[in-house]
Amino acid sequence: MPTDVVLESAKNLKREGLRTFLTLIGVVIGIAAIVSMVSIGAGLGVAVESQLDALGAETILVIPAGIQNIRTTLTDKDVDRINGISGVDSVAPIYSESAVMEFNGEKISVSISAVDAGDAEIFDDTGFFEVAEGRNFEKNESTAVLIGNEIANNYFDKKINVRKQIQINGIDYKVIGITAPQAQSFGGGPDTGNSVFMSLDGLRRISDATTPSIIFVTATDKDSIQDTSDEIKELFEDKYGEGSVIVYTTDEILEQVNLLLGVVTIFIMGIAGISLIVGGIGIMNAMVTSVLERTREIGLYKALGASNTKVLAIFLLEAAFIGLIGGVIGVIFGFGMASLIAIVGTTAGYDLIAVITPEIILGGLGFSIFIGMASGFYPALRASRLDPVEALRYD
Amino acid sequence: MVTEEIVRLENVAKIYELDGINIPALNGVSFEICKGEYVSIMGPSGSGKTTLLDVMTTMMKPTAGKVFIEGRETTTMSNNDLASFRGKKIGFIFQTFNLLPKLNALENVMAPMWINGVPRGERKKRAIALLKQVELGDRMYNRPNQMSGGQKQRVAIARSLAMEPNIIVADEPTGNLDSKSEKLVMEILNNLHKKEGKTLIVVTHDASIGKKAQKQIIIKDGKITSSGSSKSCKQV
Repeated sequence: MPTDVVLESAKNLKREGLRTFLTLIGVVIGIAAIVSMVSIGAGLGVAVESQLDALGAETILVIPAGIQNIRTTLTDKDVDRINGISGVDSVAPIYSESAVMEFNGEKISVSISAVDAGDAEIFDDTGFFEVAEGRNFEKNESTAVLIGNEIANNYFDKKINVRKQIQINGIDYKVIGITAPQAQSFGGGPDTGNSVFMSLDGLRRISDATTPSIIFVTATDKDSIQDTSDEIKELFEDKYGEGSVIVYTTDEILEQVNLLLGVVTIFIMGIAGISLIVGGIGIMNAMVTSVLERTREIGLYKALGASNTKVLAIFLLEAAFIGLIGGVIGVIFGFGMASLIAIVGTTAGYDLIAVITPEIILGGLGFSIFIGMASGFYPALRASRLDPVEALRYD
Repeated sequence: MVTEEIVRLENVAKIYELDGINIPALNGVSFEICKGEYVSIMGPSGSGKTTLLDVMTTMMKPTAGKVFIEGRETTTMSNNDLASFRGKKIGFIFQTFNLLPKLNALENVMAPMWINGVPRGERKKRAIALLKQVELGDRMYNRPNQMSGGQKQRVAIARSLAMEPNIIVADEPTGNLDSKSEKLVMEILNNLHKKEGKTLIVVTHDASIGKKAQKQIIIKDGKITSSGSSKSCKQV
């Protein structure tokens, strides 16, 4: 018997083809918008996680912050102090400077990032840096630089190849490698394609370079990383005051990023949810119209033996079907939209991927069916409560 | 010959309330209809015959009094139970046919069967047989808008028989038909009564149809002025 009610509801929707189609559009748009946002949000989470994974679970980042708009300046002594903490395995400060680069008679302004040549692989460990051509530094190389792919290909009239000679602030350097395009840099800036990388010895040929812009600390083991991080935090608070330096473990960064992503995703889902509410009102409108149009039919069903419960079930199932079909199409469209956004984003240089999980699919479908049934409940209740005598004589 | 009573009304009253004013439509109506009887209900417009039909067929609950169908009191039943009971016990034929416009003749006849839980395989078989019985074997897949009034009413008759009820109630069954169709429809209804022993209750304005019934119930101003016989079914 329930199968008959289900089949009858499905047939009714088929008979009202155009109306069903128009009602579906609202639901499809709402669900597609929500699914695409959740998919992109989840994709961003995965991207951030994989980049932080590259940093390693034992990594602690020390970034100068500011108190009352005065930015804290880290020094080499701070690096030594961190080194003195018991849980610290290694410390790799990164120094940043602006400089003028000259090639083939042309000059442009570039930003330089430098690490101790012995820690050159720290660039690799950031997860944001990849050598596309040539090689990374080796120890005692003070005249070698790696340049970003943008600098190599687009900044100058002539392309700069590996082994070319360039000048930075008038001093000669040799290009030993070119980096691959990346989505983000250490400071969260546009991308590493616009930077020049060199050893600290190399940087000291043009600058004092005594104030690291960020310090990568590796803890001896990940179980005690939080204690080590707290100790570093305490050290800087004692010296520069509370809030002078941001000290984050990779887990803490992930937590913060996920929190931010979660807030942004919920906000966007809220906006997308409005379109779903509009879709729900569309279902309600269509169902109320349908109940009015089918008043005599409902009266007849009741005369022929249909109980109030059965009439309620027929109309409620029709609404649920709209929700289900709208949900299926919406999830497919939503993932399609998310994939498109990801492709466009990736082309524009942002590390975006569309993620679809069983939770997103089931969540989208469940929510859609819920909206369908919630919107269809009032019209269905109205239909079920129709007086059979009045309904049969309704014009 | 001892006959069972199939419908009994005891002191039934129905009062409509309109803008705070009570309008009595039925006033102390009592009668019984015996199993297999052909009964006509007649009366002028506004006499209460439609209300009487609605109350008698359990489509409407009376304000006072009792209605018994096949010995069971219906006035105390819940709406859901009543719907299911009605679906199995009473077949309806309406003046305006009340066929579902988007269904073909076969689907219209099958409608009461899916509503009342007849197994799927059985439905089509029974509907085809019924449509053949009303001489519409060749119009099974036609929709109501592809049929004449007489054909539509014959589909409605087939539908009224779908649940094999003992009681067939026809409300002005020939009211919208030409004389040729009227004759055919009345012939089918008569056969149901004579050959199949169905209890046939016909509400009509048409005295020529009404007079053919075994029992004529005449209603005026909500009261029965004549119920054909004062004998109970067991005395017939």
